[in-house]
Formats: sequence, structure tokens, C-alpha cells
Amino acid sequence: MKELYNTNEAADEAVISLEGVAFGYDPEHPILHDITLSVARGQWVSIVGPNGCGKSTLVKLLNALLPKSAGEIIISGQRLEEDTIGSIREGIGMVFQNPDNQFIGATVEEDILFGLEGQCLTYEEMDVRLKQYTEKLGISGLLSKHPGELSGGQKQRVAIASILAMKPGIVIFDEASSMLDEGSRNELLHILQGLRNEGYTILMITHDADEILASDRVLVLHGGSVAADLKPEELFLDQELLAKCHLREPYPWQLARELRRLGIETDVPASEKELIETLWPYNYSK
Amino acid sequence: MAIQLQQVSYTYADRSLWRQTALHDINLNIAKGSMVGIAGATGSGKSTLLQLFNGILKPSQGTVKVLDVTIQAGEKAPRLLPLRRRVGLVFQFPEQQMFEETVEKDLIFGPLNFGMSPEEAKMRARQAMTDMGLDLALLERNPFRLSGGQMRKAAIASVLAMDPEIIVLDEPTATLDPLSRAELIGLLERLCREQGRTIVIVTHRMDELLPYADQWALLKEGRMAFQGSGQELAADPDILESCGLSVPHSLRYWNAVARRFGLEGEKPCLTAESLAERIALLQAEGMRDRHE
Repeated sequence: MKELYNTNEAADEAVISLEGVAFGYDPEHPILHDITLSVARGQWVSIVGPNGCGKSTLVKLLNALLPKSAGEIIISGQRLEEDTIGSIREGIGMVFQNPDNQFIGATVEEDILFGLEGQCLTYEEMDVRLKQYTEKLGISGLLSKHPGELSGGQKQRVAIASILAMKPGIVIFDEASSMLDEGSRNELLHILQGLRNEGYTILMITHDADEILASDRVLVLHGGSVAADLKPEELFLDQELLAKCHLREPYPWQLARELRRLGIETDVPASEKELIETLWPYNYSK
Repeated sequence: MAIQLQQVSYTYADRSLWRQTALHDINLNIAKGSMVGIAGATGSGKSTLLQLFNGILKPSQGTVKVLDVTIQAGEKAPRLLPLRRRVGLVFQFPEQQMFEETVEKDLIFGPLNFGMSPEEAKMRARQAMTDMGLDLALLERNPFRLSGGQMRKAAIASVLAMDPEIIVLDEPTATLDPLSRAELIGLLERLCREQGRTIVIVTHRMDELLPYADQWALLKEGRMAFQGSGQELAADPDILESCGLSVPHSLRYWNAVARRFGLEGEKPCLTAESLAERIALLQAEGMRDRHE
């Protein structure tokens, strides 16, 4: 499917486009200013930056959960205005940091169906989606549970399933994997890779090096504007930028950098086995 | 012992059709003044376990001893209010529990409720701010005007202000940026090493706590799957996978190097910096050996 969007015509199709967008509670001290960017359909973009730099604010402007104070936002060809908010929101699914903030139903099943009912789907289609997405997120066994009976990570998976089941073209994750253990996080990355290949556009606010590495593009927010727009690999080679957005490289990158600092030239190892083989190629015993 | 659990089980909604046992037959010892990590996959019972530590939940079976208080299943619990001051619990997303107009009012709320005088409470609030590395000028601020990292630290300070001997934190670093995470773990370690407080951290990010924790407890489906030092855990990383946790990179790389050179008995080098230095040393030794 992905190839579909790599044809010249489609690759240029910006699904999200912002022009001179600003936001602030107080015009003297804007939280975001002069944000201009565009995201192509089928792209997976990481949004990074230190705590409090405006990442969550930025994504909330896209579906008017917060009102922009200046500039223009175009989503899937529609200009964001009073009378387009409704249809724009239908196309954007958002998963928040704290899953407690988005639980509506009294059980997991009701919670997931709530969004689907809102889309006026047939009962058959609702059943299909419920089954499909609860299986995908590994929560089919929790359907009759009350949110109070779930752990933080389980709630987060329910929140993700309930959004994905609505099949929005654009999915926004606001640190939605913060409570997942590494295993579940890797599963989520897998699911997202699948979605991207189906042509979903993904925006992901994250501090996680592995998540960033899995994405196509990184937007660095700093001081209320876009400080850099680059590929993940470029970010992890730029120590100054990493420090600026309070990030760290993935562990193998850290290790390679520390080794180079000590005069041991080595590439970033793909695995621990590769590191051993590169460092000690001869089989002499110690 | 700061905390001792003997054959503890906990069942939610015990007398209903929906009864669900979250913890089975848990034995756990946490020494005074130690730093302990509790890990497990999502839904393994971590958050349930820590609510037993100050009597929010009472054991369905077995005995929970915290400091000098004993809570036994089936028996009437002793007065728990003093214990709740001495054991500070920091829940997930603690900043969402802040409610006052200023950080200072939020911080003195707990101490005042536990009967401290306003002067003492204010003093404790200042001390807690300093311990959390926060500027005292923030005391006058509205808590909702702080950045995410500051808010999290202020929320932890509001528990610290009660001067607890044991501090239990549930996923304290979730959603913080990596720099703030490392900083917070560093601050918690100082509370442990310099002030002798017992620190218990529930986490699924073992890598950031591995270099600091004295002890680990791993939960699997409500049962205790492992209890021991980080070094013991490093020697047997398969146990992590059997608990549904993945082996952190730092541990995988250390083990590969340790196995290659028979360093299993050493204290593991679990940061990129320390491992790089150890590798440099190994290479220098290798050079020397070849010359001899």
C-alpha cells in the first residue's frame, strides 16, 4: 500500500499543513509562534522537545481542542474553521498521555463501542472492528472489565484500541506509550508500522529513542517554535540538539559515542554480538 | 526491615461474583534505607502491591509488616493514620492530585493534616523543595503554571514534606523527558543515600534504575518471580523475559562483554559510560598481553 503514496502526485499531498500558526493564553507570551510545516500523507512524524515546550499544545491545535490565535491550519484539504471542525475531528484520532482522561464507557467493550456508535456503523461492522482491534492490542480478554480493574498499561492499550478502531486517517499519540512496558511498546511500534504501510499519517509526541528511530521524520520543538526538522539518524548524531531537547540516543549509539571518546573507533553496533565481533576480531584468549 | 510481607494475597471484590485475585502468596523483604525496584509486565500486580505498603489495601491473606505496624488478614487493622505519614505513596501522574492555588499551599496541606504547626509545615515544604532540586521561588507559583517536569517534582515534594521514612513511587518517571528522568532518579537516590530513607520505585523502565537499585522484586501474574540484587538479576536475565519484560540494552551489552572475558563476578557496568571504560581497559590489557 505504501507505494501508492510514493508516486509523485500523492507524495506531495500534504495532509496536514500549518502556516504561521501561533497560540497563547496571553498574547504577550505566546506558547507557540510562527509554526509553519506540512506533513505528507502516510508519514510517521515524531514530535520531540523538553517538557513544557508546547508539544501537546501543538497537536491540540490541529483539531481545535485549543483555538489557534493566528495563522492557518489545513487538514486533508479542509481549512480549519468554525464549520469544518466537526468533519476535521472525524478524521483525527488522538490518544492522550493519561488514559484515565479518555475513558468513557463502564467497561472496555462499551468504551471501544462508544466511538464506533458515534460513527453510525452497523452492528456487524462494530463487532468486526471490536474483535479486530482488541486482538491487535492484546486486550480481548478484558472486554467486560471496568476501567478501575485495569492497570495503567492495560488502560493505555484500551485507549489506543478505541481510537484505532475508528480508523481515523490521522492518528496522534501524545506520549501514549508512557505506561507500557518494553514488550508492549515494541508491539505498538509494530502496529504503527502496519498502519503507516496502510497509508495512515502518524504524529507521535515522544521522548523514547526507539520510537523516534522507528519514525520517518523528527520535528524538534523548542521555545515555542520548530527548532529542527530532520531524520531520526541525523538527530541522534547531533549532540547539541539532543541536549537542547533533553533527549538521549538509543543505548548502542551512546555506547559507540563513549567508545569513540576513549579512542576506540567503532560504528553503532546492531547488536551486542556485533560489538564483540568488531572489537575483538581475533580469537586469541585473554 | 522497613517492609515485610508474609504469604500475602490480595483479592479485589472478594465477596462478589467478580472477585479477582491480583496477588498470590507474596513474600517480600525490604531493608531500611535501601533503594528497591519493583518491575513486572502491565497488569502483573505492581500497583496493587504498593497500596499494601501503607494500608490503603489490606491483605486478604497473610501479614503485612511496615515499620512497627502489623496488618494481618482477617483481623481489625491498627490505627493507620501515623503510618500514612511515615510511608509516603506517590501515585501515577501525581501532579494531577495538585489542587491548591500555590505550590506552597499544596505542599503544606499534608503536613497540616497530620498535625504539624504552620511554621513547621512551611519549613518542611521548603526542605522538600530543596531536596527535589526546585527553586524556592516556585513556592508562590500556581502549580498549573509549572512545566511537566517541575510539576512532577513538586507533587513528589508534597509527599516528601510529610517527612516519610519510606517513599513508594509508582512509575515516577513516566512521560518525563530522558534528562528529567535521570535527574529525578538521581534526586531519589540522594534521599536514600544521604537521608537514609527507604525508596521503593515501581517501574517498567528497568534500564534507568538498574545502576542504582540495591534490590529488585519482579512480579509475574501476581506472583513474586524474583527477588535479589541487580547483580544477581544481571547474571540471570532470562528471568526478565519469563516475566514478560525485555532485557534492557545496558544489561545485554554488559552480559556479552562479561561472558567473552569471564567477568561475571564483577559489579556490572550498566551505563554506556562505565561499560565503554571497562572495554577500553580490556583492550589495553589485550594489547599488553600480545606484546608480552
